Amino acid sequence: MKAGVVVFPGTNCDRDTKKACEHFGWETDYIWHDESNLDDYDIIFLPGGFSYGDYIRAGGLATFSPVVQAIKDYVKNKKGYVVGICNGFQILCETGLLPGTLSVNDNTRFICDVVGLATSDDKMPEAISLPIAHGEGRYFADDETLKQIQQDNMIFLRYQDNPNGSLLNIAGLIDRKNNVIGMMPHPERAVFKETGNTDGMYFFKLLEAEIK
Amino acid sequence: MKYKAEVKVTLKNGVRDPQGSAVDTILRRTGLEDSANVKVGKHFTLTVTAGNDKEAKNKLDEICHEVLSNPVLESYEIGRLETI
Repeated sequence: MKAGVVVFPGTNCDRDTKKACEHFGWETDYIWHDESNLDDYDIIFLPGGFSYGDYIRAGGLATFSPVVQAIKDYVKNKKGYVVGICNGFQILCETGLLPGTLSVNDNTRFICDVVGLATSDDKMPEAISLPIAHGEGRYFADDETLKQIQQDNMIFLRYQDNPNGSLLNIAGLIDRKNNVIGMMPHPERAVFKETGNTDGMYFFKLLEAEIK
Repeated sequence: MKYKAEVKVTLKNGVRDPQGSAVDTILRRTGLEDSANVKVGKHFTLTVTAGNDKEAKNKLDEICHEVLSNPVLESYEIGRLETI
Protein backbone atom coordinates (compact mmCIF):
# COMPACT_ATOMS: atom_id res chain seq x y z
CA MET A 1 0.00 0.00 0.00
CA LYS A 2 1.39 3.38 -1.00
CA ALA A 3 0.19 6.67 0.44
CA GLY A 4 0.84 10.25 -0.66
CA VAL A 5 0.58 13.25 1.65
CA VAL A 6 0.03 16.53 -0.19
CA VAL A 7 2.01 19.55 1.03
CA PHE A 8 0.86 23.10 0.22
CA PRO A 9 2.57 26.26 1.43
CA GLY A 10 0.94 26.55 4.87
CA THR A 11 0.18 22.86 5.46
CA ASN A 12 1.19 21.86 8.99
CA CYS A 13 -0.12 18.34 9.59
CA ASP A 14 1.90 16.69 6.82
CA ARG A 15 4.50 15.13 9.12
CA ASP A 16 1.93 13.78 11.60
CA THR A 17 -0.01 12.23 8.74
CA LYS A 18 3.08 10.65 7.16
CA LYS A 19 4.19 9.25 10.52
CA ALA A 20 0.74 7.80 11.17
CA CYS A 21 0.67 6.14 7.71
CA GLU A 22 4.14 4.69 8.27
CA HIS A 23 3.02 3.37 11.64
CA PHE A 24 0.62 1.12 9.74
CA GLY A 25 3.39 -0.03 7.44
CA TRP A 26 2.33 2.04 4.44
CA GLU A 27 5.06 3.37 2.17
CA THR A 28 4.47 7.12 2.26
CA ASP A 29 5.70 10.07 0.17
CA TYR A 30 5.15 13.78 0.43
CA ILE A 31 3.54 15.25 -2.70
CA TRP A 32 4.37 18.91 -3.39
CA HIS A 33 1.41 20.99 -4.58
CA ASP A 34 3.01 21.51 -8.02
CA GLU A 35 2.94 17.76 -8.70
CA SER A 36 0.39 16.34 -11.09
CA ASN A 37 1.34 12.68 -11.46
CA LEU A 38 -0.48 10.61 -8.83
CA ASP A 39 -0.42 7.24 -10.58
CA ASP A 40 1.74 5.53 -7.93
CA TYR A 41 -0.62 6.02 -5.00
CA ASP A 42 -3.39 3.89 -3.50
CA ILE A 43 -4.43 6.71 -1.22
CA ILE A 44 -3.87 10.48 -1.17
CA PHE A 45 -4.14 12.60 1.97
CA LEU A 46 -4.91 16.31 1.97
CA PRO A 47 -3.69 17.07 5.48
CA GLY A 48 -4.58 19.86 7.88
CA GLY A 49 -3.11 23.33 8.05
CA PHE A 50 -3.68 26.64 6.33
CA SER A 51 -3.03 26.07 2.63
CA TYR A 52 -2.06 29.35 0.92
CA GLY A 53 -2.70 31.06 4.24
CA ASP A 54 -6.43 30.23 3.91
CA TYR A 55 -6.61 33.55 2.04
CA ILE A 56 -10.08 34.49 0.70
CA ARG A 57 -11.60 31.31 2.21
CA ALA A 58 -10.24 28.22 3.96
CA GLY A 59 -9.04 25.90 1.22
CA GLY A 60 -10.24 28.32 -1.46
CA LEU A 61 -6.99 28.92 -3.30
CA ALA A 62 -5.58 25.39 -2.91
CA THR A 63 -8.37 24.27 -5.23
CA PHE A 64 -6.52 25.75 -8.19
CA SER A 65 -3.17 24.07 -7.55
CA PRO A 66 -1.89 21.46 -10.05
CA VAL A 67 -2.13 18.67 -7.46
CA VAL A 68 -5.82 19.30 -6.74
CA GLN A 69 -6.59 19.40 -10.45
CA ALA A 70 -4.78 16.02 -10.69
CA ILE A 71 -6.78 14.72 -7.72
CA LYS A 72 -10.00 15.45 -9.65
CA ASP A 73 -8.81 13.11 -12.42
CA TYR A 74 -7.58 10.59 -9.83
CA VAL A 75 -11.10 10.47 -8.37
CA LYS A 76 -12.81 10.43 -11.74
CA ASN A 77 -10.69 7.49 -12.91
CA LYS A 78 -11.10 5.69 -9.56
CA LYS A 79 -7.37 5.31 -9.03
CA GLY A 80 -7.66 5.17 -5.26
CA TYR A 81 -8.90 6.87 -2.10
CA VAL A 82 -8.70 10.58 -1.32
CA VAL A 83 -8.86 11.65 2.33
CA GLY A 84 -9.13 15.30 3.38
CA ILE A 85 -8.52 16.06 7.04
CA CYS A 86 -9.49 19.48 8.45
CA ASN A 87 -8.10 21.93 5.85
CA GLY A 88 -8.15 18.95 3.47
CA PHE A 89 -11.92 18.55 4.04
CA GLN A 90 -12.34 22.27 3.35
CA ILE A 91 -10.39 21.87 0.10
CA LEU A 92 -12.48 18.86 -1.01
CA CYS A 93 -15.69 20.85 -0.43
CA GLU A 94 -14.30 23.92 -2.22
CA THR A 95 -13.35 21.69 -5.15
CA GLY A 96 -16.78 20.09 -5.26
CA LEU A 97 -15.43 16.59 -4.64
CA LEU A 98 -17.63 16.55 -1.54
CA PRO A 99 -20.94 18.43 -1.19
CA GLY A 100 -21.50 21.51 0.98
CA THR A 101 -18.91 23.71 2.61
CA LEU A 102 -17.32 24.56 5.96
CA SER A 103 -17.98 28.00 7.36
CA VAL A 104 -16.93 29.99 10.42
CA ASN A 105 -17.60 28.24 13.76
CA ASP A 106 -20.79 29.38 15.48
CA ASN A 107 -18.86 30.86 18.40
CA THR A 108 -16.44 32.64 15.96
CA ARG A 109 -13.48 31.14 17.83
CA PHE A 110 -10.74 28.74 16.82
CA ILE A 111 -11.62 25.55 18.71
CA CYS A 112 -8.83 23.25 19.87
CA ASP A 113 -10.25 20.33 21.83
CA VAL A 114 -10.86 16.59 21.99
CA VAL A 115 -14.42 15.71 21.05
CA GLY A 116 -16.67 12.67 21.29
CA LEU A 117 -17.84 11.32 17.95
CA ALA A 118 -20.54 8.86 16.97
CA THR A 119 -19.54 6.68 14.05
CA SER A 120 -21.87 4.96 11.61
CA ASP A 121 -19.41 2.52 10.15
CA ASP A 122 -19.49 -1.00 11.54
CA LYS A 123 -15.72 -1.32 11.11
CA MET A 124 -15.32 1.32 13.84
CA PRO A 125 -16.56 1.36 17.44
CA GLU A 126 -19.87 3.21 17.90
CA ALA A 127 -18.18 6.08 19.74
CA ILE A 128 -14.63 7.38 19.58
CA SER A 129 -12.89 10.59 20.58
CA LEU A 130 -10.54 12.60 18.37
CA PRO A 131 -8.81 16.00 18.50
CA ILE A 132 -10.24 18.93 16.56
CA ALA A 133 -8.49 22.23 15.78
CA HIS A 134 -10.29 24.62 13.46
CA GLY A 135 -11.84 28.05 13.07
CA GLU A 136 -13.98 27.14 10.08
CA GLY A 137 -15.56 23.78 10.77
CA ARG A 138 -19.28 24.43 10.72
CA TYR A 139 -20.61 22.11 8.04
CA PHE A 140 -23.17 23.85 5.87
CA ALA A 141 -25.24 22.77 2.85
CA ASP A 142 -28.70 23.56 1.49
CA ASP A 143 -31.66 21.37 2.50
CA GLU A 144 -31.69 19.40 -0.72
CA THR A 145 -27.98 18.54 -0.40
CA LEU A 146 -28.46 17.52 3.24
CA LYS A 147 -31.29 15.21 2.21
CA GLN A 148 -29.12 13.64 -0.50
CA ILE A 149 -26.20 13.18 1.93
CA GLN A 150 -28.48 11.25 4.29
CA GLN A 151 -30.00 9.19 1.50
CA ASP A 152 -26.52 8.23 0.28
CA ASN A 153 -25.50 7.34 3.82
CA MET A 154 -22.48 9.65 3.66
CA ILE A 155 -22.30 10.83 7.27
CA PHE A 156 -19.80 8.49 8.92
CA LEU A 157 -18.81 10.80 11.80
CA ARG A 158 -21.10 13.00 13.92
CA TYR A 159 -20.27 15.21 16.89
CA GLN A 160 -21.85 13.96 20.09
CA ASP A 161 -21.78 17.45 21.55
CA ASN A 162 -21.69 19.77 18.53
CA PRO A 163 -18.80 22.24 19.09
CA ASN A 164 -19.13 24.43 15.98
CA GLY A 165 -22.75 24.47 14.83
CA SER A 166 -22.32 21.91 12.03
CA LEU A 167 -25.65 21.02 10.43
CA LEU A 168 -26.79 17.47 11.33
CA ASN A 169 -23.75 17.38 13.66
CA ILE A 170 -21.64 16.43 10.64
CA ALA A 171 -17.96 15.87 11.44
CA GLY A 172 -17.04 13.62 8.54
CA LEU A 173 -18.41 12.48 5.18
CA ILE A 174 -17.63 9.44 3.08
CA ASP A 175 -18.51 9.12 -0.59
CA ARG A 176 -18.21 5.39 -1.30
CA LYS A 177 -19.12 5.80 -4.97
CA ASN A 178 -16.07 7.95 -5.62
CA ASN A 179 -13.82 6.90 -2.72
CA VAL A 180 -13.58 10.37 -1.18
CA ILE A 181 -13.53 11.04 2.58
CA GLY A 182 -13.53 14.39 4.38
CA MET A 183 -13.41 14.99 8.13
CA MET A 184 -12.70 17.87 10.50
CA PRO A 185 -11.27 15.76 13.39
CA HIS A 186 -7.60 14.74 13.27
CA PRO A 187 -7.13 10.94 13.40
CA GLU A 188 -3.40 11.34 12.67
CA ARG A 189 -3.00 13.11 16.01
CA ALA A 190 -4.39 10.13 17.89
CA VAL A 191 -2.35 7.14 16.72
CA PHE A 192 0.60 6.92 19.10
CA LYS A 193 0.07 6.12 22.75
CA GLU A 194 2.35 9.04 23.68
CA THR A 195 -0.43 11.40 22.56
CA GLY A 196 -2.76 9.92 25.18
CA ASN A 197 -5.39 8.79 22.69
CA THR A 198 -5.16 6.11 20.02
CA ASP A 199 -8.73 6.23 18.64
CA GLY A 200 -7.36 7.58 15.34
CA MET A 201 -6.12 4.06 14.73
CA TYR A 202 -9.70 2.91 14.04
CA PHE A 203 -9.87 5.33 11.13
CA PHE A 204 -6.61 4.10 9.60
CA LYS A 205 -7.80 0.50 10.05
CA LEU A 206 -11.03 1.45 8.26
CA LEU A 207 -8.98 2.83 5.35
CA GLU A 208 -6.91 -0.33 5.24
CA ALA A 209 -10.08 -2.41 5.04
CA GLU A 210 -11.62 -0.15 2.37
CA ILE A 211 -8.58 -0.30 0.12
CA LYS A 212 -7.79 -3.99 0.34
CA MET B 1 -8.72 47.79 -22.51
CA LYS B 2 -8.03 47.65 -18.80
CA TYR B 3 -10.95 47.85 -16.43
CA LYS B 4 -10.85 48.52 -12.75
CA ALA B 5 -13.61 46.92 -10.71
CA GLU B 6 -14.79 46.59 -7.16
CA VAL B 7 -16.38 43.39 -5.93
CA LYS B 8 -18.37 42.82 -2.76
CA VAL B 9 -18.82 39.27 -1.48
CA THR B 10 -21.42 38.70 1.24
CA LEU B 11 -23.11 35.74 2.87
CA LYS B 12 -26.39 34.80 1.21
CA ASN B 13 -29.62 35.73 2.95
CA GLY B 14 -30.50 33.19 5.57
CA VAL B 15 -26.94 31.94 6.07
CA ARG B 16 -25.96 32.47 9.68
CA ASP B 17 -23.23 35.08 10.09
CA PRO B 18 -21.47 34.48 13.42
CA GLN B 19 -19.01 37.31 12.81
CA GLY B 20 -21.88 39.73 12.20
CA SER B 21 -23.65 38.52 15.35
CA ALA B 22 -20.47 39.02 17.40
CA VAL B 23 -20.24 42.65 16.22
CA ASP B 24 -23.98 43.10 16.95
CA THR B 25 -23.37 41.98 20.52
CA ILE B 26 -20.52 44.47 20.94
CA LEU B 27 -22.63 47.32 19.54
CA ARG B 28 -25.44 46.44 21.94
CA ARG B 29 -23.04 46.14 24.86
CA THR B 30 -21.43 49.51 24.18
CA GLY B 31 -24.87 51.12 23.80
CA LEU B 32 -24.03 52.42 20.32
CA GLU B 33 -26.83 50.56 18.55
CA ASP B 34 -29.40 48.05 19.76
CA SER B 35 -30.25 46.31 16.50
CA ALA B 36 -27.47 46.96 13.99
CA ASN B 37 -28.00 43.66 12.12
CA VAL B 38 -24.34 43.64 11.03
CA LYS B 39 -23.36 41.48 8.05
CA VAL B 40 -19.64 40.88 7.51
CA GLY B 41 -18.37 40.52 3.95
CA LYS B 42 -15.28 40.91 1.80
CA HIS B 43 -14.27 43.71 -0.52
CA PHE B 44 -11.93 43.24 -3.51
CA THR B 45 -10.53 45.69 -6.04
CA LEU B 46 -9.04 44.24 -9.20
CA THR B 47 -8.27 45.02 -12.83
CA VAL B 48 -9.20 42.91 -15.83
CA THR B 49 -8.27 43.15 -19.49
CA ALA B 50 -11.17 42.94 -21.93
CA GLY B 51 -12.29 44.20 -25.36
CA ASN B 52 -15.43 45.94 -24.14
CA ASP B 53 -17.68 46.45 -21.11
CA LYS B 54 -19.72 43.30 -21.71
CA GLU B 55 -16.62 41.14 -22.02
CA ALA B 56 -15.19 42.66 -18.85
CA LYS B 57 -18.42 41.98 -16.98
CA ASN B 58 -18.47 38.33 -18.16
CA LYS B 59 -14.87 37.85 -17.13
CA LEU B 60 -15.56 39.33 -13.70
CA ASP B 61 -18.60 37.09 -13.29
CA GLU B 62 -16.43 34.07 -13.91
CA ILE B 63 -13.72 35.31 -11.51
CA CYS B 64 -16.31 35.95 -8.80
CA HIS B 65 -18.05 32.65 -9.28
CA GLU B 66 -14.93 30.49 -9.52
CA VAL B 67 -12.48 32.19 -7.17
CA LEU B 68 -13.68 35.13 -5.08
CA SER B 69 -16.87 33.61 -3.72
CA ASN B 70 -18.12 30.23 -2.59
CA PRO B 71 -21.52 29.91 -4.27
CA VAL B 72 -22.77 27.53 -1.56
CA LEU B 73 -22.62 30.30 1.05
CA GLU B 74 -21.92 33.61 -0.61
CA SER B 75 -23.25 35.94 -3.25
CA TYR B 76 -21.29 38.70 -4.98
CA GLU B 77 -21.93 42.12 -6.38
CA ILE B 78 -19.77 43.75 -9.03
CA GLY B 79 -19.59 47.52 -8.65
CA ARG B 80 -19.28 50.14 -11.39
CA LEU B 81 -16.55 49.41 -13.97
CA GLU B 82 -13.98 52.07 -14.69
CA THR B 83 -11.60 52.03 -17.66
CA ILE B 84 -8.01 52.87 -16.80
